[in-house]
Amino acid sequence: MTEEFIRFEKDPELCQIFISGEVDLSNSGELRKTILGALKTTPAVKVNLSGVEYIDSSGIAAMVEGLQFANSHSKSFYLCDPSPQVRSILELARLDQVFDID
Amino acid sequence: MKKDLEQQDTVIEVNQLVTHYGQRKILDGVDLNIKRGEIRVIMGGSGSGKSTLLWHILGLYQPTKGRIHLLGQDIHEISFNDMLKLKQDIGVSFQSGALFSSMSVGENVALPLREFTDLDENTIRIISRMKLEVVNLGGFHKLMPSQLSGGMIKRAALARSIVMDPKLLFFDEPSAGLDPVVASEIDDLILSLRDTMGMSMVVVTHELDSAFKIADKITVLDNGKNLLTGTVEEIKASTNKRVMDLLQRRSRHDKLDPADYLKRLTQENYTLS
Amino acid sequence: MWSYQAIERLGFAMRLFWDSFYWLIIGRRYKQRVRLAQVIEQVRVNGFDALPIVMALSFVVGMMLSIQLLYALSDFGAESQVLLAIAKSVTREFSPLITGVIVAGRSGAAIAARIGSQVVSQEIDALKVIGIVPVRYLVLPPLLGLMISMPLLIICADVMAIFGGALFSVQKLDMSISAYMLESFNVLVVGDVLQGLIKSVVFGIIIVLVGATTGFYVTGGAEGVGKATTSAVVISISFIVLADMIASYFLTQ
Repeated sequence: MTEEFIRFEKDPELCQIFISGEVDLSNSGELRKTILGALKTTPAVKVNLSGVEYIDSSGIAAMVEGLQFANSHSKSFYLCDPSPQVRSILELARLDQVFDID
Repeated sequence: MKKDLEQQDTVIEVNQLVTHYGQRKILDGVDLNIKRGEIRVIMGGSGSGKSTLLWHILGLYQPTKGRIHLLGQDIHEISFNDMLKLKQDIGVSFQSGALFSSMSVGENVALPLREFTDLDENTIRIISRMKLEVVNLGGFHKLMPSQLSGGMIKRAALARSIVMDPKLLFFDEPSAGLDPVVASEIDDLILSLRDTMGMSMVVVTHELDSAFKIADKITVLDNGKNLLTGTVEEIKASTNKRVMDLLQRRSRHDKLDPADYLKRLTQENYTLS
Repeated sequence: MWSYQAIERLGFAMRLFWDSFYWLIIGRRYKQRVRLAQVIEQVRVNGFDALPIVMALSFVVGMMLSIQLLYALSDFGAESQVLLAIAKSVTREFSPLITGVIVAGRSGAAIAARIGSQVVSQEIDALKVIGIVPVRYLVLPPLLGLMISMPLLIICADVMAIFGGALFSVQKLDMSISAYMLESFNVLVVGDVLQGLIKSVVFGIIIVLVGATTGFYVTGGAEGVGKATTSAVVISISFIVLADMIASYFLTQ
């Protein structure tokens, strides 16, 4: 489970992070560390949410922190392929207007 | 939504709940069965026992008899730590809001995160402000509860109750004392929370409009007993006299006894028999 | 009926005391950790903020004692004993009592009002459903706060009362103020000061338990909170005087 929870595809210009399964309090800390770590080494980070079945507020917060870090260090941070359920959670807090979503 | 509700698993189950206040029976064998993703409205006149039922489900009072299962666990048998875990999956929004008056709105919302998670301060701040955005109170985190209006207090209390992403959400009179516009905003919020987060909800209310708008099913309590449980249509079509009274907001004493009425008005030592 | 209620509340207060220390010791295991910041805040509110009034009143009490003692002892030509009498009576009796009464009026009333209004506004129920044990969150911090701050207040009160006594007595005794103060500290034995400190801790416990108990038993809205506040002060002062007498009896054996 935790092995597949986060997967990387990295080249010098772009780091893609694939998340799958459920993101909750037990693993959102790991997600947060991964996102912030990736942003420190690459200029652009893309989080692929297609495999996410459930994401809680701490998981969303991890991505907000990623965006905050990216904006203050002039790097780019995108989300892509959110499932309808994830998208509706983002819309609930109107975060769909804040993130760049592909 | 309503069709597949029956196939969902049960998240709240109450069996034959009996409770007394002194000698008086408040609840007299109440049953309740609520499915995942369902919004159940509990209605009844004042003194019907609807709030008491809510307090018992939350474990704030000990019943005389009966069993209560939340998310499959018997709340009277489970250990302190399991109960604590269960409480993280439950959000409650009180009639008065019950915001902690010594803390700002933001601190109120953040309190459960501070107490029960190891998240760092930055994450806690983001989550709690996100919840304030959800209830349309973005930017109000610094205000104290005493500076808020009635509708804002209810919304802030709602933000606090969903901060841990609970699976069950309980409301005591969410729209009581609010003007119709604000009340309907809260109803919309309740619906969108269910639709996005898949929460199951129990709403105790006596506001008919709001009940009909949000309910999947309505349970009508009367004198501590289940009078009727059904969908909005079933309740509206009910021919039960008590239910019809409730819907039309008529008084219970439809037939007036003139002699007794005169006594009530004039006798110095009149007591209800 | 009245006595039944009194016994019930006494039991409730005992239970609060027991529960407080239970959660202090075992709380960490059940995610009911007591925050140090909360305790420090209580030391500040109940101790530090009471310092000016405690010091002012104990100064006045010291002066008052020296007036009375000089008058009474001059009949025997024993004015020189004033210094000893003031030092002993202040440390053993007066500064704990005065401080206890002041803190009961300030903190006891505040604790009762705070908890009482939280009962009325369902904040206690809100704590419970969130999973926070109310005793751990609302009673333990002021309890520890007062158990820490009362002895500190007593030490300041002792010094101020002796100073107040000194100011009035020095010309009759033909001493300098500093010599009077030094001599006072010389005649005191550890037991004198300790007696006052032990009493003050007991008074602190009484103040918090009475305040919290009356607060938790509030019924009937804002008016109930007002009544609880008044009775918290009266009851805790009564218990303080009673406890003082009992403690004096046993500690002077």
